Amino acid sequence: MSRIAALALNTFREAVRNKVLYILLLFAIVLLGLTYFFSQGALHEQLRVIRDVGLVGIEVVGALIAIFIGVNLVYKELDRKTVFALIPKPIRRWEFVLGKYLGMLVTLAVLVAIMAGTLFVVLWLGGSVFGGDNDNGTVFRAIVLVFGEVAVITAVAVLFSSFSSPILSGALTLGIFAVGHFTPELRELIAKVESTPLRAILRAGMRLFPDLHLFYVSGSMVGGQHVSIHGAYVDWPYVGMAGLYGALYCAAAIALAMIVFSRRDFV
Amino acid sequence: MTAPIVEAEHLQKTFALGFFRKKVRAVDDVSFTVEKNEIFGFLGPNGAGKTTTLKMLMGLIFPSRGQARIFGRPIAERAVKQRLGFLPENPYFYDYLSGAELLDLMGHLFGLGRAERRRRARTLLERVGLGRAGDLALRKYSKGMLQRLGIAQALINDPELIVLDEPMSGLDPIGRKEIRDLIVELKHEGKTVLFSTHILSDVELICDRVAIVVGGRMRDVGPLKKLLSPRLIDTELVVEKEGALAAVRLPPDADVDAALRDALAAGKKIVSVTPRKQSLEDLFVREVDSADVAGGAERVKLKARDGAKDKAS
Repeated sequence: MSRIAALALNTFREAVRNKVLYILLLFAIVLLGLTYFFSQGALHEQLRVIRDVGLVGIEVVGALIAIFIGVNLVYKELDRKTVFALIPKPIRRWEFVLGKYLGMLVTLAVLVAIMAGTLFVVLWLGGSVFGGDNDNGTVFRAIVLVFGEVAVITAVAVLFSSFSSPILSGALTLGIFAVGHFTPELRELIAKVESTPLRAILRAGMRLFPDLHLFYVSGSMVGGQHVSIHGAYVDWPYVGMAGLYGALYCAAAIALAMIVFSRRDFV
Repeated sequence: MTAPIVEAEHLQKTFALGFFRKKVRAVDDVSFTVEKNEIFGFLGPNGAGKTTTLKMLMGLIFPSRGQARIFGRPIAERAVKQRLGFLPENPYFYDYLSGAELLDLMGHLFGLGRAERRRRARTLLERVGLGRAGDLALRKYSKGMLQRLGIAQALINDPELIVLDEPMSGLDPIGRKEIRDLIVELKHEGKTVLFSTHILSDVELICDRVAIVVGGRMRDVGPLKKLLSPRLIDTELVVEKEGALAAVRLPPDADVDAALRDALAAGKKIVSVTPRKQSLEDLFVREVDSADVAGGAERVKLKARDGAKDKAS
């Protein structure tokens, strides 16, 4: 466990010493700050605008950072041959993959926390009252869900980067991010396919893609119900269910990455 | 007799390259052992298959055939890796870390405690001549400094076996001597060292045994004294007359005393008399040449076979 922690700490250190990450984070903070000014025009809906735009900002920037570090940090180990000195150390190849992934998750947790803190500051400036049972609790749960989403995206990026180049891995992960967001709409389209065998194949294929729609809950249709960040729908049981789905998906993707990694030659 | 520390048995590696997965055999039937407390030189020209062989020993590449054991066990076992130190060829390390941070990370992977990691990092940085560069980011290290740090990280666990892939690469003559001295020191500490190189003088000076690999195949293995023929090749006689130097090579069966007497009688001054025995360089060149001839013969055979096939079709 100590070895996995050492690898995770090193990955966290690598990420936080990368300037590109700070640029993306700064961009997110500026974007969140700007929501305060955008929301001025929405008379009685100021807080709703801050919440919705802020959550979209955190989700999009979080996903971009997840793809960036998920694709780069594993590939760089192979490209720069740093892995040559690590594999003969008393670690197993699967521990290496797990350590890298956990380090990325810690990095993303810190970044999402910073962005969430900024959003709460903007909400406070907009007049939101903290404490008690109010919408800010729902915003917090929505942010936990955003973290679940970036964890899934990172796992997919790590899986792709265990066998392909960063550009291809990035493109494939972006593709999965896009497909994952439109799962309800795609399922509806598949339901309209007339050929039964084709419909079955497409349905089975859809199961391979992560249902990212579960993690982004503002103003959408989920299971035929309208889901909004304003409502009580986003309760802790929902977060727990989505979290469990995300954890299982991440475990499957990382397990595949471990298998790929344990079989490859480091030339 | 104790069991060998390293055992390579009929190692073979074939890579599938390019879009059409063309098969290229990088290592073919390489077998050797490294005994306890010896310095073993793995010698070969560039592209001979030295690094591929060492990577198979270190578990970085899986052999297509054959097997490797270290301390009598497969390399993949954690207990084996715990007793092993490895320096990769042209080592690349995390450039966002400092030298001390890298050693701390490597020590952590061996399960060392924080205080022990710090103590060993300080001692090793001093030992490889980087005492003042410990806090410097690796992106500011020169190639030679990275090589030294690579050796330090290979020693962080106080290993019994140290495997070094081209350890003198990128070092100036002083640096090379320091690393040679370090390898000899490690032997005196009871450790076993296996290193690859194409620099013959390094091998001649410090190795107990050598293996010569050319074109992916093992050509020779054994103690240097056994591999090098004690037979006299020739005797070089250098004389001086009226300020001009002249060198004569006398065949092994020549009467050197008579030649000296003749030279003195002719009014020449004897500058030097050097009997020349086979050097490692002679052996190495002979092995590379014979591999080329064998390769050439193989190519001729293949060509003839292809020609016959063409005719038949």
